[in-house]
Amino acid sequence: MGTISSAFSSMSQALDADQSALNIVANNVANANTPGYTEETPNWQENQPLVIDGVSYGAGVAETGPTSIRDSVLNQRLDQQQQLASASTARLAALNTVQALFTPDSGSSASTAGDIGSDLTSFFNSFSSLEANPADSSLREEVLSSAGILAGDISNAAASLDTQQSALDQEAAGVASQVNALTGSLAQLNQQIESTSPDADAGTLQDQRQQDLSQLSQLIGVNQVTTQDNGLSITTTSGQLLVSGNENFQLTTGSVGGATHFFVGTTDITSQLASGGGQLGGYLTARDVDIPSVLGSLDQLAYGVSTQVNDLNNTGTDLDGNTGNASNPDASPLYIFNQPTQVAGSAAAMSVVMTDPNQIAAAAGPTANDPNPGTGDNSNAVAIAKLASTAIVNGQLPSEFYSNLVTTLGSTVSAVQTENTAQNASVTQLQTQNNSLSEVNLNDEASAMTMLERSYQAASQVFTMLNTIMASALNLGEQATVS
Amino acid sequence: MAMGVDPSYLSNLSSSLDRVQANQQQLTAELSSGVSINSLSQNPVASGENVLLLNQIQQDDSFTESSTMVQGKLQVADSALGSVVSQLTQAISLATSANNGTMNPSDVKSISNQIAGVLDEVQTLANSSYQGQYIFAGGQTSATPFTTSSATSPGVTAYNGDEDVNYLEMPNGQKIQLNVPGNQIFSAGGSNNVFAALNSLVADYSSGTVDTPQAVSDTQALSTALNYVSQQRVTIDNSITQLTAASNATSTEQTQLTSAQTNLMQADVAQVSTQLSLSETQQTALEDVIAELGSASNDLFSKLQ
Repeated sequence: MGTISSAFSSMSQALDADQSALNIVANNVANANTPGYTEETPNWQENQPLVIDGVSYGAGVAETGPTSIRDSVLNQRLDQQQQLASASTARLAALNTVQALFTPDSGSSASTAGDIGSDLTSFFNSFSSLEANPADSSLREEVLSSAGILAGDISNAAASLDTQQSALDQEAAGVASQVNALTGSLAQLNQQIESTSPDADAGTLQDQRQQDLSQLSQLIGVNQVTTQDNGLSITTTSGQLLVSGNENFQLTTGSVGGATHFFVGTTDITSQLASGGGQLGGYLTARDVDIPSVLGSLDQLAYGVSTQVNDLNNTGTDLDGNTGNASNPDASPLYIFNQPTQVAGSAAAMSVVMTDPNQIAAAAGPTANDPNPGTGDNSNAVAIAKLASTAIVNGQLPSEFYSNLVTTLGSTVSAVQTENTAQNASVTQLQTQNNSLSEVNLNDEASAMTMLERSYQAASQVFTMLNTIMASALNLGEQATVS
Repeated sequence: MAMGVDPSYLSNLSSSLDRVQANQQQLTAELSSGVSINSLSQNPVASGENVLLLNQIQQDDSFTESSTMVQGKLQVADSALGSVVSQLTQAISLATSANNGTMNPSDVKSISNQIAGVLDEVQTLANSSYQGQYIFAGGQTSATPFTTSSATSPGVTAYNGDEDVNYLEMPNGQKIQLNVPGNQIFSAGGSNNVFAALNSLVADYSSGTVDTPQAVSDTQALSTALNYVSQQRVTIDNSITQLTAASNATSTEQTQLTSAQTNLMQADVAQVSTQLSLSETQQTALEDVIAELGSASNDLFSKLQ
C-alpha cells in the first residue's frame, strides 16, 4: 500500500508543480512587453526518493520557483557598447550641426560660412582688380564690400559656433540630474537586493537594476563591480565612485571659465566624463574639443588675414595721399579690418572698420626716392593681392588653410559617422543576442504551455488510474464495494 | 528555451526601413539640388578640393575682367602714341621743307606756327587720360603730366609725373607692364626728347630766318626722338599681346577648372536615379516582410485551441 500511496503523492506533487510552472509561463506572457523584464524559467527538482524495505522509490517532482534567464557578462558588454554608441551619437549630432554651417559652396552667390573660401578669393581679387585702375572709386567700393562679406561670414560662423557651444553646455548640464536620479534608484535597489536575495538572482529587482544601468549607460560611461550580497558598485570609467551599496554620490555642476563643469564632492571629473562615453561624453567632446578646434581655425584665419592686410594697407599711401602710422607716427592707422590683438576671438570680432574707400592704400608708402608715389601707383594693391598666394595663415595660403579646415572637419564628421555606425551595429548585435536569451519569446511560451498542459493531463490520467488500482486493492477478494 | 532567436526581430526590420528611407532622402536631395556633396562628411577630400578649385576659377575670372579693363587703357595709350608718331612725322616733313632754304620768311614763320600746333597736339596726346586718370604720368595720374611754358625761347615743356611703372600680376605670378611713364616716352635724356626737339624747331623758325645748320640738327634730333617714341610704343604693344595671350590662356584654364569642379560636385543623375530606384524596391520588400511577419496568424498562440 505504501508504494501506491507514494505514487498518489508523486502525482499530486506533479500537478502542483505543473500549476506553478504554468503560473511562471503566464507571468512571462503578461510581461512580454515590459521594458527590462527578463524571461523566467521554472526550476524542476526531483524529490528525495523513499526507501521502503531497502528499496528506493522515486518521490515525484517539485517546482522550486522561477529563475531569470540572464547573462550578466552579455549585459555588461551591451552596457559598455551602449556607452560608446551614445557618446558618438551625441557627438555626431553636434558635429552635423557644425558642418551644416560649412555646406560646400557650389559656386552660387548666397552668403554663408560655406562661402568663406570664395569670400577670401573675392576679397583678394578685388585688390587684383584695383591693380588695373587704382584710382577707380567703384573698384575701391568693391574692396570694402568684399571685405565686409568676408568679415561677416567669418564672424557669423564664429557666432553660430559659440551658440552651438552654449546649447551643448546646457544639454550637458541637464544630464547631471538624470544621472543622479538613476544612481539614487540603483542605490535603493542595491539595498533591497542585498536584504532580500543576497545569495541568488533577485529576479524582478535585478531586472530593474539592469534597466537603470542600461539607462545610465546611455548617459555616461560607467564601470560596474559586483560586491558581496549581490550588490553592485558603480564608478565612472575613470574610477570615480558613483554608487556603493546603498549609498550614491551626487554629480554636481558648477561654472568654470564660463563652461559647466561636473563634480563629485569637490573633485572636478569633467575631462574624465568627456572621454568616458555616454551622451554626456559626446556632448562634452563636441563642446570642449570639436567646436573649439573649428573656432580656433577660424580665429587663425581671421587673425592672419586681418593683421596682414591691415599692416600692408597701413604702410601704403591712400587715394588722398595720406599714409597710416607705419610711416607717420602722428597719423591714425589705415586699417581695413578691426585690428585683432590676439588670435583667440579674432573670428568673432572680425569686421570692417574702414568706411571711406579712398583710404585703401593702393599706392606704395613714401620712400626717400619717391616721397609721393601718386594716386596712379598700384604697387601696394599688387602687394595686398599677393597675400592670396602668400603663406599668411599659420604657414599656409589663406585658401589652402580654409580648404584644410573643411577637409579636416569633414574627415572628423565622417570618422565619427563610421565609428557611430559600427558601434550601433555592435549594440544591435549584442541587443539581439541578449534579446534571444532574455526576452520573452511568445512562441516558446505557447509551446511550454502546451507541454505543461500535456504533462498536467498525463498526471491527472495517472492519478485516475491509480485511483482505479487503489479501488481494486481495497476490494481485493470482495464483491465490488468500492469503485 | 531556444537560443539564437530575437523575439523583437520586427523592430530590427523597422530600423532597417528607417535607414532605407534616410538613404532615399539623401538621394532625393542630391537629385533636387543637382549637387552630389551636400555636407562635408560625404566627401571631405572633395570638399577641400572644391575650395581650391573655386579659388582658382574665381582668380581666373577676376583676371579676365581686370585684363579687359587694362586692355582698354593700353589701347588708348597705343592709339595716342600712334597719333604722336604721325604728328611727329608731319613736323619732320614741315621742318625739312623749311630747311631747304627756298621759303620766304613769312612761310618760315608759318612753319613755326604749324610746328607749334604739332607741339600742342603732341602735348594733348601726352596728356591723354583713361577714365579720368592720365595715362602717361607714371603714378601721378591725377595731375596733368606735361605743361609748356613759352616764357623762354625755345619754350620748355615740363614733366610733372613720376617714373612709376605699374604692373598687373597674373594668377601665376607673371607680371605685365601697364604703363610707360611719360618722361620715358616724350622727354627722355640725350637726343630722345620729343618736346625739346619740337620747342627748338618752333624757336628756329619763329623769326622767319633759318639758321640752317642748327635747324637741320634740330630736325635730326626730332627724327631720333620719333624713333625712340616708336620703340617705347613697342613696350605697350607687347603688353597688349601678352595680355591677350594670358587672358585667352586663363579663359581656357577657367573652362577646364569649371568642368573639373562640375565633375567633382555635380550629382550623376543616372547613377543617383538607379540607386533611388533600388532603394525603393528594397523599401517595398521590407514593408511586405514586415506586414507578413507582423500578422497575428504567425503566432503560435493563434494556433492553440
